Amino acid sequence: MKLKTKQAWTGIMFALPALIGIFVFYLIPYCISLYYAFTLQNRFVGFSNFVTLMKSETFWLSMKNTTIFALTAIPLAMIIPFLIALFLSTFDKHTGFFRSLFLSPLIIPIASVIYVWQIFFTDYGVVNNLLQKLGLEPVSFFKGPWSMVLVVIIFVWKNCAYNIILFSAGLRKIPKDVREYARLEGASDFTVITRIVIPILRPTTFFVFLLTVISSFKIFREVYLLYGMYPDENIYMIQHYMNNNFNNLNYPRLSAASVILSVFIIIIMLVFFLIERRNDQ
Amino acid sequence: MKKRAVITSKYIVLAIIAAIFLLPILYMVMNSFMPTKEITEAYTSSADHYASFHLIPDQFSLEQYYQAFLRRPQFLKLFWNSVLITVPIVLIQCLISIFAAFAFTKFEFPLRDVLFFIFIILLILPSWVTMVPNYMMIQKMGLLDTIWSLILPSAFTAFGVCLLRQSMRYVPDETIEAARMEGCGVFRILFQIVLPQVKGGVASLMILTFIDSWNMVEQVIIYITDKDKYPLSVALSEYAGTDTGIIFACGVIFMIPALLIFLYHSKEFKNARV
Repeated sequence: MKLKTKQAWTGIMFALPALIGIFVFYLIPYCISLYYAFTLQNRFVGFSNFVTLMKSETFWLSMKNTTIFALTAIPLAMIIPFLIALFLSTFDKHTGFFRSLFLSPLIIPIASVIYVWQIFFTDYGVVNNLLQKLGLEPVSFFKGPWSMVLVVIIFVWKNCAYNIILFSAGLRKIPKDVREYARLEGASDFTVITRIVIPILRPTTFFVFLLTVISSFKIFREVYLLYGMYPDENIYMIQHYMNNNFNNLNYPRLSAASVILSVFIIIIMLVFFLIERRNDQ
Repeated sequence: MKKRAVITSKYIVLAIIAAIFLLPILYMVMNSFMPTKEITEAYTSSADHYASFHLIPDQFSLEQYYQAFLRRPQFLKLFWNSVLITVPIVLIQCLISIFAAFAFTKFEFPLRDVLFFIFIILLILPSWVTMVPNYMMIQKMGLLDTIWSLILPSAFTAFGVCLLRQSMRYVPDETIEAARMEGCGVFRILFQIVLPQVKGGVASLMILTFIDSWNMVEQVIIYITDKDKYPLSVALSEYAGTDTGIIFACGVIFMIPALLIFLYHSKEFKNARV
């Protein structure tokens, strides 16, 4: 018994620095902002901050754009790497060199390549030059609906790499003979993939999904560097909404938004975790 | 014969995919060796003059690097700002995460699983949610507009603990138990027995944390008002407007530290167990 309490204390001591940091910078202030969310000028106002937030058109615009972005970019950033990883797995020789090459978008800082994107995609840029030569209409990537397309392209380009690595690692765990045996039994490539490969890869896929969701929250960096603080309304994201409210330090509204969004995200993620758990059994 | 054709075409497809991933980076590196004049001529675009694809320099020159290193003291200062922010974040994050992951995997203490569950939730929450609480705390501590406002919240994230816990789970408990029987202290167990077995995880953590902090944007524009304290990740985009002629060399210089730390650890990174 004595040994056990000593062990417990050692464990707590090791966890302490991380716990202090998390409490001081995240948990305690989060509780304070929970308090702010329900007050206005130190008076308890119930849900009225939330109601004001719900009435704000810019909030809904930012929610809409963030959702559109997440629903297109996340699936694309998972399907394309999966296909590339499948393709890589058909090679007999090592493809490690290529996989390192694929990683470069992840390694290279955003700020470094942003100017190349600008040259490529500005109104009179390289891409429109090409489109014009092909006899197509030039497209404005900085205004209007195409700006979202550009943001999705950049996200997929940047985040494919790591997902390829993860999917490849998962594919390597499937013994070659399993796939070959199924094929000998007369299964088509498509059946092998949908019936054998995808089910085996499910835990990997869940992990990839989680990482892609987390990186999709960071797309603001690219959007900010490309379009600045006040972008086109098609790519006005939640982070923009929050930043603009920081400028006038509207704590009640910021806190209300922070609380409601975190509850929303936690619920969505819990649903995914439960689905994954149930499939596991 | 047919098989050979298949293999060749597969390699061609592979090369095309690789080219798509590499093009923007290659473009930046090649363009960094163009003289300033060539850059401004190629990319000053207007309605009747589209910018053209210009990969190979007409004239090889180091002018951009010369300008960035020797003629723009401000540039090196901003670069140094990035270093001052990133290095402490990586070091603190790694050390703290190693300790905490060790505690969460190899010890039992009350509320352990509840506390770890909080870490998982924090891992998922985006900066647009956590920044409001962060900001209030930093303001109360009087750290706004100092580099500590960028370092501290990013050094204490849940990411490292979750990642390393994942790799430390593979370290067999028996080896630790055996070492303990031999009278080995906890620190020796951690640094001499556990750490060598989770090198891949630590390397991944270092690379990913380095890249993440080297690219920091959202915190900078909220917490820092003095533009002299900006790291290059934000300041570089302002160069694009004013100093177009040397922007590519600046981009390459900014990329080099990230590239070096990746190459140094790349083997562990690619083989890390997840």
